[in-house]
Amino acid sequence: MRVTEGMRYSQVLSNLASITSQHAEASQQASTGIRVGKPSDDPIAAAELARLRASSSQTSAHLSTIDVVRGDAELTESTLSDASDIFVRLKEIALQAANGNLNAEERRTMGVEVSGMKDALLTLGNARGTRGYLFAGSQVTTPAFDQNGVFQGDDVAQVVPIGNSTPTAVSTSGQDAFVVAGGRDVFADLESLATALASNDETAIRGAIDAVDASHAQLVNARARSGLILSKLDASQSVLSSLDTQQQKRAQEAGAADPFESYTRVTALGQTLDRAIAVSRQLLDTGSGNRF
Amino acid sequence: MGSLNQLLYTARDALTAQSYGLSVTGQNITNVNTPGYVKRDPLLETRALGTATTGTVTAVGLRRATDVYIERRELTARGSASAASEHDKQLASVEALFNDLGATGMGSALDGLFSSFSALAANPNDPTARGAVLGAADAFASRANAIGDSLSDAKNELFKAAQDTTAQINEKANSIAQLNRRIMAAEAQGEDAADLKDQRNNLLLGLSTLVDVRTIPDDNGSLIVQASGATLVEGQDARALSVDLATDGSLKIISGKGGGTEVTQFLTGGTLAGIKEARDVDLFNVSDKLDKLVFDVGNAVNAQHAAGFGTDGTTGRNLFDVPAVTLGAARGIRLSSAVSGNPAAIAAASTATSLPGGSGNAVALADIFNTPLSGGRTAAETYGDIVGDIGQRKAAVAQAVDTQNAIKEQVQAMRESVSGVSLDEEMVSLTKYQRAYEAAGRVLTTVDELLQDLINRVGR
Repeated sequence: MRVTEGMRYSQVLSNLASITSQHAEASQQASTGIRVGKPSDDPIAAAELARLRASSSQTSAHLSTIDVVRGDAELTESTLSDASDIFVRLKEIALQAANGNLNAEERRTMGVEVSGMKDALLTLGNARGTRGYLFAGSQVTTPAFDQNGVFQGDDVAQVVPIGNSTPTAVSTSGQDAFVVAGGRDVFADLESLATALASNDETAIRGAIDAVDASHAQLVNARARSGLILSKLDASQSVLSSLDTQQQKRAQEAGAADPFESYTRVTALGQTLDRAIAVSRQLLDTGSGNRF
Repeated sequence: MGSLNQLLYTARDALTAQSYGLSVTGQNITNVNTPGYVKRDPLLETRALGTATTGTVTAVGLRRATDVYIERRELTARGSASAASEHDKQLASVEALFNDLGATGMGSALDGLFSSFSALAANPNDPTARGAVLGAADAFASRANAIGDSLSDAKNELFKAAQDTTAQINEKANSIAQLNRRIMAAEAQGEDAADLKDQRNNLLLGLSTLVDVRTIPDDNGSLIVQASGATLVEGQDARALSVDLATDGSLKIISGKGGGTEVTQFLTGGTLAGIKEARDVDLFNVSDKLDKLVFDVGNAVNAQHAAGFGTDGTTGRNLFDVPAVTLGAARGIRLSSAVSGNPAAIAAASTATSLPGGSGNAVALADIFNTPLSGGRTAAETYGDIVGDIGQRKAAVAQAVDTQNAIKEQVQAMRESVSGVSLDEEMVSLTKYQRAYEAAGRVLTTVDELLQDLINRVGR
């Protein structure tokens, strides 16, 4: 083949441009650690990264939601624990008052203490969390119970999306815990005991012991249910954290450059570039122009 | 038998011919780096002197070292390489609009919208969470608008670029027509038209980067030039190429004036083909997909949002104003005026009775993220598909650029091998003509000595 000066120069330029371009690309990968910097670098990986980013964003949103609702769920659990403690104390008082050796004055004093506990129980029933009254259902801006212990909320549970196939209920029904139909009205049971103590009605006091027991059991059950909600949140958080780690790992695998491979490549291409420059110089130096 | 005088003429002609050879060699060396220059070879022939059987030499002209087949291939290769390169350049701009890896796409806006619904479900009565939904919805609409506008602007700019390209094509066509006329005139008078042909060749090379070019040589020295399947130059006449918009918004290439003939389907190479491919195939395709995604997401969110209740007890409000048709949805989607600036209008509750703390509708809104849209894919999957599709297109075109450039370089090397100047050869030619010139001078000296000798003998 007839070789001309133009061919020599074009070949040198073309070779150097190609190797320089490859070297620059490899250097960028090695220095940034990113293999897929734009969709065309690896379209399949880019599409996967876009979907992984969306999934990861959703996972983060769910984890964030869990963090937000966990506070109220923990407050609900501790509030119900305090409420059930009140009924432990009520039962102690009832058992003590049922003792025939106590006189009317002593029972009236106990009745005053029990009446005070009703206020404490109302305060607990109207406890507020970050989204409003904890036991009011969806009526978060209205106290769950009025001064007489009448339920003013509803039975609508707060549901949140935390990655499960169905939305997860994260609130505890105030109605179920305190005044459920067919169950106990804990305020009424407390009131009955207070009335029996005030009226020194020993029979009524004995009768109230079972009611106090039942109310206590109802509150303990409600607390257990709120504990289950916390367990569910913990389990979801654990699964989501693991998922988040997996998603980050997959994103890393899909989009990151292998450090050893990229370093080896940039080194090899650097050597190739050095050789190409040396050969180019030789090629141009031996050009016929020097013979004139 | 020749006389001494004849020998003198022979020496004279030899000096002239070798001098011509040196001149052509010098021209070749001078133009070793001139783009489009085609190496010349001096054409020397023997010439009879009168009735003598021994002749002398004469320079009858020069030959441009060309290969029509290779030249045609180069025009085609340059056209294909230029089309791929332009296509690649335009797709790079589109790719940048969807490069979430470089934080310029709309993936984060889409994610942000659905994350805001999740956050709302966690605290439905919180004005901040409601405000965040408004902010995220506005960000989603704004991002869709920005990308939609950019794609639309790119379509308009490419239409203008196509018009500019056809203007350049017509300018070059006119210049080629003028050169055809000058070449025809020069050759008719037996003059050397090599430089004019070089100029025409240069123009053709430039033209081939703008549009696919095919040449047909005419006997009178002119070239018939066809572009996009239509005759662009014939003799000294050039026909204008123009571009317009078809009814479907795509580019329409027209040959000739006064309505002309549509030749769009024959366009295969050059910048014009790259522009058309990027605009009418890729931009339209990506725009359609984006419009469909935005249209589907906007309507799905609207349907769910309208089913819920704001804390003000009102239902039936859309979150977005979505255009009635898919086309242009990305550019046209807006945060609905029914909810804009009014956090209470965000419908987190699914029933009026569950106000203000009901979160059922917020959960349903967030769940749209996991629900297949009209194409059977979720919003995130659809967006990932768009990103992957753009990446595939750009990668394929980048590959085509490499391939077409390699072909172009190969053909250019072939042309250079035939038509380029080799200093090795010119050095040899220089020596060859120099020695021949010296020898002719020696003949002249010898004849002179013989004549002097003759004169001296006769005059004694």
